[in-house]
Amino acid sequence: MVACIEGRNVSLTFRPPNRGPVRALQGFDIDVQDGEFLSIVGPSGCGKSTFLNVVLGLIKADSGDVLMRGKPIAGPGTDRAMVFQEFGLLPWRTVLNNIELGLELKGVPAGQRRDVSQRFVQMVGLSGFEGHYPHELSGGMKQRVGLARALATDPDVLLMDEPFAALDAQTRDVMQVELLRIWHEAKKTVLFVTHQIEEAIYLSDRVMVMTKRPGHAKKIFAIDLPRPRDYEMRVTPEFNELKLQIWHALKDEITV
Amino acid sequence: MSESRTIKAALASSDELAAPGKSLWHRIEPAALGIGSIVALLVVWELVPRLITLSAGTKLFFTTPSQVAGTLWRLFATGEIWTPLGVSASGFGLGLLLSIVVGLPLGVLIGRSRTLNDMIDPFITAFNATPRLVFLPLVMLWLGLGLWSKVLIVFIGALFPILINTYEGVRNADKVLINVVRSFGAKEWDIARLVVVPNAMPYIIAGLRLAIGRAVLGVVVAEFFGSESGLGVMMVQAAGRYQVDVVFSGLIIFAVLSLALTAMVQILEQRLSRWRPVHVSE
Ligand SMILES: Nc1ncnc2c1ncn2[C@@H]1O[C@H](COP(=O)(O)OP(=O)(O)OP(=O)(O)O)[C@@H](O)[C@H]1O
Ligand SMILES: [Mg+2]
Repeated sequence: MVACIEGRNVSLTFRPPNRGPVRALQGFDIDVQDGEFLSIVGPSGCGKSTFLNVVLGLIKADSGDVLMRGKPIAGPGTDRAMVFQEFGLLPWRTVLNNIELGLELKGVPAGQRRDVSQRFVQMVGLSGFEGHYPHELSGGMKQRVGLARALATDPDVLLMDEPFAALDAQTRDVMQVELLRIWHEAKKTVLFVTHQIEEAIYLSDRVMVMTKRPGHAKKIFAIDLPRPRDYEMRVTPEFNELKLQIWHALKDEITV
Repeated sequence: MSESRTIKAALASSDELAAPGKSLWHRIEPAALGIGSIVALLVVWELVPRLITLSAGTKLFFTTPSQVAGTLWRLFATGEIWTPLGVSASGFGLGLLLSIVVGLPLGVLIGRSRTLNDMIDPFITAFNATPRLVFLPLVMLWLGLGLWSKVLIVFIGALFPILINTYEGVRNADKVLINVVRSFGAKEWDIARLVVVPNAMPYIIAGLRLAIGRAVLGVVVAEFFGSESGLGVMMVQAAGRYQVDVVFSGLIIFAVLSLALTAMVQILEQRLSRWRPVHVSE
């Protein structure tokens, strides 16, 4: 079976003007199966965002292959969508118009756009806030908009780059539950980047630990916890055992 | 003891209740003072010839507010004003419009493209450093004394504030937001439309405000030094005939038009920034 997303021996070096080159990825391999929820954890600067941007089609790898359903990724496409860390909402657009962004760029007629975005407003629980501007929303609400916007174009793959990092701990817990519900409902493949081991375990089917820069896969953990998952699961011995194992894999990579 | 504290508290709260009334006066005070001093000035001005006898020579150069008001009224009532006003307005309007139509897209283009920027920047720097008035003889030589020389002078004056401000605003565009819209399939045109231009709007509006000032100046200068008709021409001719009241009338019309345009830009700005958080100031 061909993987949904596949990275083979991916290497990428940034060459910023007036500064030395930065090797972000080297020999990076990954397989994400259809419908899978896979999280990546790794030290800061190891190339996690870089790889997501390659999958998104915003930057190109220097060498190696990045494939979506067996085809090389040549640029952005409606089969993939990103939920951004700092939300990335257009401040001059209302909630509804932000959610419509992808549909608009896809050329969907206005009336149909309205209907679809309205549906996603409901799915993420933002009914009544359609006409609000981003600055009038809390962090959690902003990221609900970000999630709805990513889902609105009905992509196969959802890329999430530390989507809850800017939220407080309680809002984060709520958003994790929401995300699992929506993931279950919408049946997407999710590639999720986080710094929180607990978050990664709670959400994922598998968790990949990356090495420090230039980043590549260090170890992959299968999370065989039953679904649907609940909050109580986080205090079970199985959960804590996984947490410990992942921490051990990660801690050697972290340099201060 | 406790009673006096209660009274104090009551006094304090009644003070607070009185505060909004006070702050209303505080708010209108500047306007009231401003209007008051203008009225006072007009009254004093009006009284001067009635209180002191001016010599015949001085009288030639003198006018009063009531005279100016009468002249203004006559100019509009007879319709005499409409031709020069129309000529000036079309020179101003066409020149400004042209400067927006050229300056805004050009600003976006050179703001987004390194290559274009490197190619065009020397011209902009040189043009912008040159006083606009030195173009006047050339423009008159090429385009004569009619409408189009005026349009060109206005255009040259208004173009650079819009161009340069748009450019600055575009350079400041949010890189993250650009990547966001690119990830949803935006091409360069969509990036400009969805992110770059809205993001640069405060800069563009500031540029527009500057441009309006420059455009008015352009009309005045062109009409003072080389036009067949217009408000400025009317003023120069009236001055030659010692019709001080007509000169003042022209001056007032220019002033009122400038104020009205500035107010319009302000309204435009408010409309375009509805999405902005309202800052709680003071
Ligand atoms: N546009 C760029 N130009 C130059 N260097 C870059 C660029 N983008 C990223 N880098 C560098 O590449 C490396 C990997 O960056 P990346 O953002 O992928 O890390 P990350 O794993 O997402 O880190 P974090 O967990 O802190 O978000 C870093 O050292 C970063 O400084
Ligand atoms: Mg990152």
